[in-house]
Amino acid sequence: MNRSRWWTALIRYVLLVVVTVVAIFPTYWMATMAFKPKTEWTGAGGVIYWYPHNPTLENFRTLLAQNQVGKFFRANTASALPSIRNSLIVATLGTLFAFGVGVLAAYGLSRHDTSAQGHFPFYLPLVRLALLVIILMPFMLLGSRLAIVDKWYGIGGLILIGIMVDDRIGRLMARVYTRGPVGNLPFSILQLRMFPPIAIMIPIMVMWAAFAMVDTLHGLVLIYGVVTFAFVVWLMKSFFDEIPRELDEAAIVDGSSYWGAFFKVVLPLSKGGLAATALFVFILNWSDFLVALLLTNEKWTTIPVFLNRLVSAETGAQYGPKAALGLIALIPVLVFGIAIQRYLVRGLTFGAIKK
Amino acid sequence: MASIRLHNLRKTFGNVVAVHSLSLSIADGEFAALLGPSGCGKTTTMNMIAGLETPTAGDIFFGDKRVNDVPPDRRGVGFVFQNYAIFTHMTVAENIGFGLRVQRRPPDEIRREVHKVAELLDITHLLTTRAGKLSINDMQKVAIGRSMIMKPRIFLLDEPFSNLDASFRFYMRGELKRLQREIGQTMIYVTHDQVEAMSMADKIAVMDFGVLQQFGTPDEIYNTPANLFVANFIGSPSMNFVRCRYCQENGQGYLVQQEGPARLVLDARRRHLLAQRHRADDLVLGIRPEFIHASPTMSAAEPETAWPGRVVFLEPLGARTIVHVRVGADTLQVAAPADYRPALDAPQWLTLDPRFLHVFDAQSGLAIR
Amino acid sequence: MAHLQLNHITKRFGRIEAIKHLSLDIRNGEFFCLLGPPGAGKTTLLRLIAGLERPDEGDIYIDSVRVNDVFPGDRDVAIVFQNLALYPHKTVYENIAFPLRERKIAPAEIEQRVRAAAKLLHIEQLLARKPARLSGGERQRVAIGRALVRRPRAYLMDEPLANLDARLRLEMRVELKHLQKDLGQTFLYVTNDQIEALSMADRMAVLNKGVLQQCDEPDVIYRLPANRFVATIVGSPPMNFLPCTLAVANGTLTVRHEHFVYRPADESGLRAALAGRSAADGRVWLGVRPEDIGVYEAAPTNEAMLAEVVVLEPLGQETIVDLRLGREIIKARVPPTRRLHEHQTVWITFDPAKLHLFDAVTDTRLYTSTREQPLVGGRKTL
Repeated sequence: MNRSRWWTALIRYVLLVVVTVVAIFPTYWMATMAFKPKTEWTGAGGVIYWYPHNPTLENFRTLLAQNQVGKFFRANTASALPSIRNSLIVATLGTLFAFGVGVLAAYGLSRHDTSAQGHFPFYLPLVRLALLVIILMPFMLLGSRLAIVDKWYGIGGLILIGIMVDDRIGRLMARVYTRGPVGNLPFSILQLRMFPPIAIMIPIMVMWAAFAMVDTLHGLVLIYGVVTFAFVVWLMKSFFDEIPRELDEAAIVDGSSYWGAFFKVVLPLSKGGLAATALFVFILNWSDFLVALLLTNEKWTTIPVFLNRLVSAETGAQYGPKAALGLIALIPVLVFGIAIQRYLVRGLTFGAIKK
Repeated sequence: MASIRLHNLRKTFGNVVAVHSLSLSIADGEFAALLGPSGCGKTTTMNMIAGLETPTAGDIFFGDKRVNDVPPDRRGVGFVFQNYAIFTHMTVAENIGFGLRVQRRPPDEIRREVHKVAELLDITHLLTTRAGKLSINDMQKVAIGRSMIMKPRIFLLDEPFSNLDASFRFYMRGELKRLQREIGQTMIYVTHDQVEAMSMADKIAVMDFGVLQQFGTPDEIYNTPANLFVANFIGSPSMNFVRCRYCQENGQGYLVQQEGPARLVLDARRRHLLAQRHRADDLVLGIRPEFIHASPTMSAAEPETAWPGRVVFLEPLGARTIVHVRVGADTLQVAAPADYRPALDAPQWLTLDPRFLHVFDAQSGLAIR
Repeated sequence: MAHLQLNHITKRFGRIEAIKHLSLDIRNGEFFCLLGPPGAGKTTLLRLIAGLERPDEGDIYIDSVRVNDVFPGDRDVAIVFQNLALYPHKTVYENIAFPLRERKIAPAEIEQRVRAAAKLLHIEQLLARKPARLSGGERQRVAIGRALVRRPRAYLMDEPLANLDARLRLEMRVELKHLQKDLGQTFLYVTNDQIEALSMADRMAVLNKGVLQQCDEPDVIYRLPANRFVATIVGSPPMNFLPCTLAVANGTLTVRHEHFVYRPADESGLRAALAGRSAADGRVWLGVRPEDIGVYEAAPTNEAMLAEVVVLEPLGQETIVDLRLGREIIKARVPPTRRLHEHQTVWITFDPAKLHLFDAVTDTRLYTSTREQPLVGGRKTL
């Protein structure tokens, strides 16, 4: 028995090492490529450079310099700096927006019986925005015939129609899926996750255009907040569910208000959950390409979109500067992750508190 | 069916010693209980017997066969847990017959066996019911039946009654013991409830901090506890303890209360025992509540043995009343008849039955006998 | 100090009625126990009083003030939950101080009151620790300390000892009762352990499926249970029930069982008790407590019945004997010194002065042969 355990342990470690190397290698390649001169990263001549033989900061210079007109950059003459700044602002504000609404919604869903019918929570329109847009599309097309789609009353009316239709559909789906008169609120948030983003992005783009929100800060923050809101609600709800209800009740009987119980007892106990969710949502917003591609032009271009533009007919794909930008894009996530690491570990061992 | 022998069994988790070298033998067909407070190592011991944990040192024998290296599924042990792992979507009969169906036994044999087990458990009327619809109480019976049908060599029960209603627990205690007698099955029962261990087991192993404190019949454990821990743990209400010292006067031996006026004449055997000891000035006198008689007046017969005290508290329990009497600095619990209701603070005279005295060394905690 | 009154309370959760038209009156300074099996509605009742739930019907009064619409924190009652609900991220000190901080009490006074509570509960040395590093009994004390420090009008306790070891539970029981006497406050204590209720309560109520079964002093509940449910839940082991019929033989009313005939000594008393009741077709349950069964090796009287010992359960201070009488198994309580063995045939008698008759249909108690026996030393004065 002992002998068999010895060599199974060995195999396990060998496998672990292999998996780790395979997993880390792409990151290694990107990091080293950022410091390679063009001759090394193009791979011209069929030579593979496993590490930078002549380390250089050339790629970073190319990337960050403004209005650089050189042999590399004919197609793209802008610096990457604005896009890095845009990404930081948009991802942070979007995350904060999703958190501000989502954490409270999650707490409400965790503590209150939402199966009771007849409630129409104030944030429902926000929750349903995405699905709404799809339902709105036929009306939009109809509206464009009637030439009201660019009027505020036209848009507003269509949204109202959409909410009503969506509410009915939500209830119906909830009945079908859960085989009972279960409340449709948590379920309608789940619906949001059932649609592939590509399906809702085109209608949203049309709508944003109608509202003149394309390539604006508020337009981007709003869409990022709405898209990641569902994640915040679902992740945070499960964290709140793990905190015994009696804890907030004890605080309330002890003299706290509902808000006091939430901020003094529940929130400090869900630090781990908040940290994990924040990181997750931030990464989603940070690395999003699709939304940014469709809803930005020049002013609010984010890193992924800028990354996509580092290519031209003349120069081909600019792998060196791309790698440099990738490396830069890694930094905020890394910093954020390390900063909240303490809470992440506590978030993972959260169940221990209960007993 | 099998006997079990544990030899110097030891289990450590990192630096924590869960079980110190534990040696026990449980005879074939015996009902043994592992009893102790939470964290005493009883569940770890059971897991080692079942094969769910590997001992750090020592051996486990089923009959004559060493089973340390036998995987749990081949040891032939049956399990019943606190949380009855039954399949709620199956009927009671399907639940009980599950193990046999997995073994692909012929259907009519399964039916026969299921019926036999159901009859033993008195649940034949429930066989076609879906298990999800059963009460918690009946679920536990089904869980027992499901293990029983596999005819395990050893049956392990881990606090199976702790989720049941109090009144049903009484019934199940009698039932399980009757069942064990009827099928003659070796059973090991893990519990922290001394009443369960006392009422059902043939032998009780009392554990604390991974160390076996005493192993014996309920009668031995109750009437001749090996040390203060066992004496305190067994019995409800628990044994009374009074710090005493030994002294001799006029050829008589006395136990004198350290903080109070009480004294007690000892019989010749105890006097002899204590006189031999070097240090007899720090002793603990132990006596169970039912062996103290309380009365509002001093009994004339033996003035030496009557202890003066005052009532500090009354616990009426229906069938009897527990009277808490303060004597000097110590408070003694006295089991009195149900309708004995002295007023609070009323003077009481306590007479201790000398036959049921226990004397312990206060330092080591060991019984002196 | 509080006088708690519940007036025809009904509470529904969806279609389920957790509490049905329940009225209770809990006196000032009383240790009141609510006893019932899981799901009886005990916890719901406690939460209604604390204000964590709202009744669908009926009114709740604390000291004659209707509190239905009063916020939990303003009701001035403290609650100790079954899982204790200590704040895991706060130290013991901060846990106990929390209710005072929420009430904006001066820091110096907080300090003084927390220390006083800790001293009373013997947890002074634990103040700097977090709850995760406490033992079960210590957590218990902290939870009580957090309630205590506010000096509320009433304490509501929801099975606070349920998660403790049997041994510790015994100790905490006595301690809790002493504490209540020292504080002189109203305690409402919810439990499913009849021993806790009997030993601690000044008065107690038995609850089943949201319906109040009986509310009285523990003694009365034990000796004169209102129905079979109460007789079963109180007493360990519970009361034995034997199916019987009422019959008139030679002009006297008798209770007949397959194996015996019971002739009540005060037959007129039984007749009077039955008058006006329609004990349907004369079917009744004869109830007898385990300690009221005599077990003998030789027939002591002509009325003794033969029974077989099925199982012996030695408990140390007593032995429970499972006896087979015809088809039924009944439990008797005998002294530990009795040497019986399994499968032995014995003679048993029932104490004729302590028999109960219950209606077979409604399960309510019809008659008890108890003649009120004087209690030694007078009434309980605690």
